[in-house]
Amino acid sequence: MSETQKSMNPSRQFDELPDAPPKRKIRLSWAGKIGIAVLVFWAIMVVIGPSIAPYHEAEFLEESLFIVPGSDEKYPDTDFQPPSRIVLLGSDYMGRDTLSRILFGARTTIGISFIATILAYLIGVTLGIAAAVGYRFEYRGFTIIELDTVLSRLNDALLSIPSIMLGLVMIAALGSTIPLLIFLTGIIYAASVFRIARSLGQEVMVSDFVEAARVRGEGLWWIITREILPNVAMPLATDFGLRFVWVILFISALSFLGLGVQPPMSDWGSMVKENLPGLIYGSVAPLIPSLAIATLTISVNMIVDDISAQTGGKLAKRMIS
Amino acid sequence: MKEVKVFQQMYRDGQVTRREFLSVMGALGLSATAAGGFLASSSALAATPNRGGSVISASNLHGPDDTLDPIVCTSTIDYIRQCTSYNGLIQIWDNMSLHPELAEEWSVNSNATEYTFKLRKGVTFHDGSAFSADDVLWSMNRHLGKDSPSSIKAFFAAVVEWKKIDSHTVKLSLSSPDADMPIKLTQFQAKIVKKDTTDFSKGAGTGPYLVEAFQPGVKSVHVRNPNYWRDTGQHLDAIEITAITDPNARLNALLSGDVDMMTVLSAKSIKKVEETDGVEVMSVPAGLYGGICCLKNTAPGKDDDFVMGLRMIQDREKIVRSFLKGHGQVGNDHPISPAYGADHCNELAQRTYDPDKAKWHLNKSGISSAELFVAPVQGGIEETCLLMQQNLAKIGFDLKLKKVPTDGYWGAVWMKEPLNVVTWNMRPTANAMMSIQFGPGGNWNDTFWNNERMGKLLKMSLAETDPAKRHEMHCEMQTLVHNDAGMVIPYHTNVLDAKSTKVHGFSNVPLGQLGGNGWAEFIWKDA
Amino acid sequence: MIWRALFGRLCISVVTLFVVSVLIFIGTNLLPGDVAQILLGQMATPDSLAALQAKLGMDQAAHVRYFMWLRDVATGDLGFSKAGLGAGNATPIVQIIEPRIFNTLQLTSMVAVIAIPVALFLGLLAAMHPGTRLDRTITFSTLNLISVPDFLVATFLVLVFAVYLGWLPSIAYLRGDETGWGLIRALAMPTLTLMIIVSAQIIRMTRATVLNVMSSPYVEMAILKGVPRRRIILRHALLNAIGPIVNVIALNLAWLVGGVVIVEQIFAYPGLAKLMIDAVLVRDLPLVQACAMIFCASYVVLIFIADMASILSNPRLRYPK
Repeated sequence: MSETQKSMNPSRQFDELPDAPPKRKIRLSWAGKIGIAVLVFWAIMVVIGPSIAPYHEAEFLEESLFIVPGSDEKYPDTDFQPPSRIVLLGSDYMGRDTLSRILFGARTTIGISFIATILAYLIGVTLGIAAAVGYRFEYRGFTIIELDTVLSRLNDALLSIPSIMLGLVMIAALGSTIPLLIFLTGIIYAASVFRIARSLGQEVMVSDFVEAARVRGEGLWWIITREILPNVAMPLATDFGLRFVWVILFISALSFLGLGVQPPMSDWGSMVKENLPGLIYGSVAPLIPSLAIATLTISVNMIVDDISAQTGGKLAKRMIS
Repeated sequence: MKEVKVFQQMYRDGQVTRREFLSVMGALGLSATAAGGFLASSSALAATPNRGGSVISASNLHGPDDTLDPIVCTSTIDYIRQCTSYNGLIQIWDNMSLHPELAEEWSVNSNATEYTFKLRKGVTFHDGSAFSADDVLWSMNRHLGKDSPSSIKAFFAAVVEWKKIDSHTVKLSLSSPDADMPIKLTQFQAKIVKKDTTDFSKGAGTGPYLVEAFQPGVKSVHVRNPNYWRDTGQHLDAIEITAITDPNARLNALLSGDVDMMTVLSAKSIKKVEETDGVEVMSVPAGLYGGICCLKNTAPGKDDDFVMGLRMIQDREKIVRSFLKGHGQVGNDHPISPAYGADHCNELAQRTYDPDKAKWHLNKSGISSAELFVAPVQGGIEETCLLMQQNLAKIGFDLKLKKVPTDGYWGAVWMKEPLNVVTWNMRPTANAMMSIQFGPGGNWNDTFWNNERMGKLLKMSLAETDPAKRHEMHCEMQTLVHNDAGMVIPYHTNVLDAKSTKVHGFSNVPLGQLGGNGWAEFIWKDA
Repeated sequence: MIWRALFGRLCISVVTLFVVSVLIFIGTNLLPGDVAQILLGQMATPDSLAALQAKLGMDQAAHVRYFMWLRDVATGDLGFSKAGLGAGNATPIVQIIEPRIFNTLQLTSMVAVIAIPVALFLGLLAAMHPGTRLDRTITFSTLNLISVPDFLVATFLVLVFAVYLGWLPSIAYLRGDETGWGLIRALAMPTLTLMIIVSAQIIRMTRATVLNVMSSPYVEMAILKGVPRRRIILRHALLNAIGPIVNVIALNLAWLVGGVVIVEQIFAYPGLAKLMIDAVLVRDLPLVQACAMIFCASYVVLIFIADMASILSNPRLRYPK
């Protein structure tokens, strides 16, 4: 048996209150550890990136910087320049420094995607659990509307329109300021979070321990906070990683269609897009932001893999959609 | 047919231009006449055209609104298709010269208010019916009236009526003089369709190619019309017209030989096309420009110093050098580029980048921040705005850019937001360009700059036949716009396309992509 | 039991379609400019705009237009494309959509036929040998592929296979009479791109799900009993993993129908997704609605099939308590 499976047999000691799930210890593989290191690196860059960048993200580099000594060319090209001492990672299609844009962009990209994912979770989980516990609007004892039904239909509708179309229409209609971008992305992704949270919640609701709690006469709030949330927290946390990555890619797809972060701010997705013409010249300008996205994605998923391998459960099922 | 020979020779020598034509018609009251048969690009006259084969042309935009109805067409792909299916009365070719098409000859009275067109006989529509004056009347009347959705309605505002004299003669009367009318008739929207056509998707005009298939937003296929009236062109067996909206994909399709020509080459890709064998750049200097509109009827644009500050901060040389890669000219804050020929005012001093003066003007205006709406309406405009933003920041002015999508831009942003970007295609004449954008009270006066003197000059220059006086008037108009209007025009860009080196015979008309879009009848492809 | 479920689903689908149509209608009405304005573009005059608006019925109130559309659809009439009407070619929407559906199905099925077996195979392969170098290679490369924006993948493939090697056409330009080899050649590039994107996800899910099932008590029991590993995976694990895997495949297929905007754009492929984008760009509302309805319907059908598959493959769900 492999190492991962060995570590999966937890010693069953109930050193806590019986109604709380047993404490899980997660041991990370080397891949997971690298993942953590990369994440920490980017987290630091989010904070200090702009202050250590050699240039400003919007700065057009002066042509004089690129003059080769001895050459009589007064105005050399500044765009799509290969990495050199002046521009460590080369320059982009308008002659701006790629490294600086990556460093500034870390804040925008990770910031927007992170907040949007959090928002998606706040909305999705709240509504998902509310639907799962079967909240209904009653009037004199008659059920008027079941929350689950209403939310599920709305959710089906949102999910059945391809998210890129939804994003295109909504952002084109309402404008692409950063708060709106976050808000709309949050809503669009809340739909899939809702689906997961609801099904997780429903599973917990029919479990024996919730039935027992009900028999004991515990209130709905007690059940939600003490039984449901602890039991769905881990799978949801795992899903968060993947969702986060999809949000980054979603925003980059939006910038392919011309919506997304406003110039001259940089975000990694639009950096890939706007520098695509450089690919044909063999420029690294479109590859570097893509590499940055990949490091983030891969490290998040390495950690997710480690966690899911060790927490067991039907995690995988919930990570779809 | 001596006249034709003379004409042909003049044309080959590059002597016959639009201006000469006008003076011939307007001042002398002569009629212009020529037979078909000389209409091929001067650059291609030496080679013998190869007959046969087919080409695929890739434009930059298409959609469910693609149309074969001349009067509502607005995009390059529509224009190309108009030229395969239909003919106009007059056509424009190399060096902006005018040539008879369905009108065999035309004459004008001494004050340019009455035109008589003699129509070509023996021309048939694709369905076999004969072409006559009724078709011209019906087609031209579609541009008139309140309910007409024609996109060149404004050109025909002075039309009193189109009148049939006999089966092949029509007369046009105008309420005010217009020596430029023949040029306006060369517009794609003014193509002649069959009387009482209701379904335009068949494209059943008199043109050189028949529509075999037409799927809006996908492609169209055109095959040679065996009963065409002119026998010098139609080298290709078939033409396919499609669009590839993604600029990189369009370029890659050309480079890998999947299409034979493409419209709108991005300046960033010029180098690649130049260094690749088998493809070449088509770069035609034009009046096409990108600019910034400051609405004069509202803040901040109504402050002259503010607008002047924005003009002074334009690093025009750098824009042309690094964003247009040299395929353009610095603008002088008026739309009339050197491509307009004699009407361009070269006496007017070129405005240059001067941050100190810009700072002085902006300080004087008391404005320290503004918001500019930017849509990628034209290659180079976004870069220009970003550069302007950076240079303004250096002198302590905060320019915010608000990026909006191109679709819906003309209805929702342009002429509405106080500061917005704009692009204008070259118009056939300097007067047409100036009157459409700066005519007082006009529909497209997009800076809301209503100048009485400008209105007078526009009218006077249209009736003026003395070249020196005309030039003087145009100079005065350009100076007015240069100093007083709400426009900032930092650059004029060349019309940039790319094609396979196997295809030849395009004209150099700068009014549209791929030599003015009218290539279908005249190009050929090496076997 | 299946018939009841089918009927229930049908009712739900109708509700979902209705919700989608309302959402789309509101969304597209929020977009700046209407179809008449867009058609006339920069050269619109108040006169010509009013004339065209009247011709297209745009002078009526928004809700009136919606109910007129709804009435037509209820009687099975999708109507005419507004953009087409305005542009002088009155084209019934059915006539526009029919070839597009065919194209989309053609591409989707080509991708599905190749990508699904390959992905399942690779996913199982990775799951059979967890922790080995093979597994790590598969996991790492799929993660890499997931994290690269699809437009970069597509552009890169075009540069390599079409521009430099000249083996394949750079655009999927269909003449309409291709068969056999010609068709495969024409579709090769978009198929390859989509295969990479789709199979990366399916591989990950298959691996995760199967591994998950492998950690369940009955599999552990089987392992202890000494059942050969291959047999465990193929007989026990795979059967139980069918539900979630089919779900992922269904969602991917739904995405292939409507979400492949960028791939269709890059390869100039006349599919449904591009049609919808074009329709949104000219605000051709009936056409947008028709596309949205198709996406929604295909989503509903695919999810229904997936749900049925998981019910049928799971005895506990087949016979609920």
